[in-house]
Amino acid sequence: MTAAHLLVEGVFGFFATVLVISALGVVVARNPVHAALFLILSFFNAAVLWVLLGAEFLGIVLVLVYVGAVMVLLLFVVMMLDIDLVVIRRGFVRHAPLAAVVALLLAFEIGYVFWARHLGLVSLAPPLRPGTLPNTRALGLRLYRDDLYPFEIAGFLLLVGVVAAIVLTLTHREGVRRQDPSAQVRVEPARRIRLVDPFPKGTPGKGGEGG
Amino acid sequence: MPLFDDLAVSAVVFAIALAGMFVNRKNLVVLLMCIELMLLAVNTSFVAWSAWWGGLSGQVAVFFVLTVAAAEAAIGLALLVVVFRNKRSVDVDTIDTLKG
Amino acid sequence: MSLDDLVLGVLLLPLAAALIAGLGRNLVGRTGAHVLTILAVALAFLASALILRRVLADPRPHVFTFYTWMMSGGARFAVGAWIDRLSALMMVVVTFVSLAVHVYTIGYMHDDPGYARFFSYLSLFTFAMLLLVVANNLLELFAGWEGVGLVSYLLIGFWFERPSASRAAVKAFLLNRVGDLAFLLGMAVLFAAVHTLSFRAIFAAAPVLGRTPILGGSGGMTVATAAALLLFVGASAKSAQIPLHAWLPDSMEGPTPISALIHAATMVTAGIYLVARLSPLYVQSATALSVVLLIGALTAFFMGLLGIVATDIKRVIAYSTISQLGYMCAGLGAGAFAAGIFHLVTHAFFKALLFLGAGSVILAMHHEQDMRKMGGLRRFMPVTYITFLVGSFALVAFPGFSGFFSKDAIIDAVGRSPVAGASLAHLLLLGGVFVTALYTFRMVFLVFHGEPRMDEHTRAHLHESPLVVTLPLVALAIPALAAGWVMFRPLLGGSFFAGVFGRLPHGHPLGFVSRNPHLTPLAFVAGAFSEPSFWLMIAGIATAWYGYLYRPAFPARAAAAFHGLYRLFVQKYYVDVFYEVICARAGWLVGRGLSTGGDRLLIDGGLVNGSARLVGAMARRLRPVQNGRLYRYAFVMIAALVAVLGYALLT
Repeated sequence: MTAAHLLVEGVFGFFATVLVISALGVVVARNPVHAALFLILSFFNAAVLWVLLGAEFLGIVLVLVYVGAVMVLLLFVVMMLDIDLVVIRRGFVRHAPLAAVVALLLAFEIGYVFWARHLGLVSLAPPLRPGTLPNTRALGLRLYRDDLYPFEIAGFLLLVGVVAAIVLTLTHREGVRRQDPSAQVRVEPARRIRLVDPFPKGTPGKGGEGG
Repeated sequence: MPLFDDLAVSAVVFAIALAGMFVNRKNLVVLLMCIELMLLAVNTSFVAWSAWWGGLSGQVAVFFVLTVAAAEAAIGLALLVVVFRNKRSVDVDTIDTLKG
Repeated sequence: MSLDDLVLGVLLLPLAAALIAGLGRNLVGRTGAHVLTILAVALAFLASALILRRVLADPRPHVFTFYTWMMSGGARFAVGAWIDRLSALMMVVVTFVSLAVHVYTIGYMHDDPGYARFFSYLSLFTFAMLLLVVANNLLELFAGWEGVGLVSYLLIGFWFERPSASRAAVKAFLLNRVGDLAFLLGMAVLFAAVHTLSFRAIFAAAPVLGRTPILGGSGGMTVATAAALLLFVGASAKSAQIPLHAWLPDSMEGPTPISALIHAATMVTAGIYLVARLSPLYVQSATALSVVLLIGALTAFFMGLLGIVATDIKRVIAYSTISQLGYMCAGLGAGAFAAGIFHLVTHAFFKALLFLGAGSVILAMHHEQDMRKMGGLRRFMPVTYITFLVGSFALVAFPGFSGFFSKDAIIDAVGRSPVAGASLAHLLLLGGVFVTALYTFRMVFLVFHGEPRMDEHTRAHLHESPLVVTLPLVALAIPALAAGWVMFRPLLGGSFFAGVFGRLPHGHPLGFVSRNPHLTPLAFVAGAFSEPSFWLMIAGIATAWYGYLYRPAFPARAAAAFHGLYRLFVQKYYVDVFYEVICARAGWLVGRGLSTGGDRLLIDGGLVNGSARLVGAMARRLRPVQNGRLYRYAFVMIAALVAVLGYALLT
């Protein structure tokens, strides 16, 4: 085993451990804000793992877009909401055994699939395939050339998600002045401007004496 | 770094997220976070397989999963805000209007 | 004018008149309606006479096709005409009687609000009957057949505000449906065997059909027998033969001109015409001929008996009609098709005459039809009396009158027929002669002789009917008297029907008449006095005279003495009761059973509501699952995931 391999193994072991621990933190944290922070931490660790696996672009995207936008949004929402922690934590311990059983069962099943069915295959190190193209460029070619339509659909999906989020949270509260584009367009000059005679007849004007 | 290591990490994170859904069954916020965690685990698995086979298909799949996950997170959070606004709580038990 | 133009004219003139008078009755008015229809029917009569003359010159059947009605799987159904001497003769008879009835109706229906409608129906009926007669295939014939059935229904129920008329109309319609079903089946049998319904093909195939077993079997019934029997069931419904006769007496609920036109002279003869038309088929089946013969003879005798106890003048004539149709049937069954048709023709004249005479009486009696309230009318209505008497003598077959020639020819032919059952039929027909004479003269004596029994008011207003009523009477009395003399030689002895009818395989169909081709009508009359039928007829008249003029108390005593028999007759052999109690009740019960058990319980309750209830019940059970608890859903999903994955791994 070369030194480079050893280094990679060590880096992987460290970040993988932190990933698992922070994932546990998400689950067991009392405060949702802490949970959100743990989640962000696990995302960072996962991004490192991805970079290790050669998916540099996705690792960077995960940090920039996911952590930078989505997770911040999540954190923002969690902080904004005034959550009653006592009620929320109720039943945590009671459900823990069941949770452990189900989780272990699932982990065992997944491991069984990987290990028992594809034994030998998975224990091998991946064949080193030096890419002819940088990862970002290869992915870009793939997305914009081969998978253009799914890419467009995905973009449209995001747009729909944005619109849906806005529509869901949009409220018309009483007593709050808000813009009504329709009313703005429909407006007529006659309704807006009222000409008043500052000097009605019989009223002495301020500067009238001079004239 | 054998493939199995990556897949094991992925499976463990997935199982933790799953357990989290059980123990935090009342907290909508943490439930959302657990879903994110699950997606992350799955994505990790995709990337690992992609690296193993040397193809890009796994990474393309991760790309789309990320996209959908972002949309899902946006809508899920919007729903969370709406629920909280109406119920003054994120307790899942309070959301049972759809029962038969 | 070419022959097919004439045929088309005969067909379409009455139809056009019917449509105009019926649909445009507010346009043409009452006078317009009768002028139009009478004109059309008169022209049709003239054209028919022209056609008959042409056919007399050229005896071959003239077959036309006017247009193709439909093509179905290689089978072509055409509307056309088959003009031979039989159909031409029928056309003349139909149009002549129809014309007489049209004219007569002017007087009879004078005060009726449905005047124009009535004329429209009359013309429509004429059209349908003519279509039936000229048809060159069975389907076209069936169209006319259904047409006359429909118009018959409409006319029996003409006074539809009377419940009894509506009931009688429905009854006639339903009983005819029974026959129509058999007719359709018969057509189907023929079509299956010949693959066409045109007469030409059927006649050509008849000898083969007579040897072909039905349904491809090896023995049993032949195709010819099956088809002939089924068609005869249809014919027996239309021609009121036992056991489908029950509608005809009730059809007297219709106006009298209708009774004359439809239920005496034309429509009821459709069945006779059908059998005669298809005679090449019938002669191939000894079984069918025997059935026709026996049904006819039974009808002739037993339905005549009912005429003796009926009190309604029109019902008496109705029973006599059934009885005479029985004679015709018997003639056909014996193989004497010419004699049967001969009787059809003479009967059309004298029976129309009798009905119109009865109508004249009814008119004078202010629509009173009960003979017990009449009597002595000959002093008030001399023309009606004389013509009615002529009709009666023709009916009882008094030598010299038209009915004599045809009926005695039938009796004689049956007596010598080789068809099985002919001797029994012969006895029944001879008995029928006595019965006919008895009920006919009972009617004559009750209505025209003896003491007047009507109330004072009616009696004061008694008078002879107007000219439009008496004129057709006289016009019909002439053929009733003379038709026999004119037609005897050509129809029976001569070659008028040469090639029209099928021939029995052995034995001559026309009995002694044809064996003496030089037999003159006079000789036939002279020979009658030594025949038993003549003396039976005299005995019948004498009995009527004894019972209804000489000793009026005798019938009541006889009725009391033979109480059971009398009841049987009055109840019309309980046929109506049978139909009502057994058939109608059973049908009703089956219908109710299907309605409650099948429709409401099984389909509505079980399938329609049941499926809805099932869904509802399942939904009630499943509803608690949908408890709105988010984590429960998630748990179920995850558990299912784990379970499915585990299952996939284990297998």
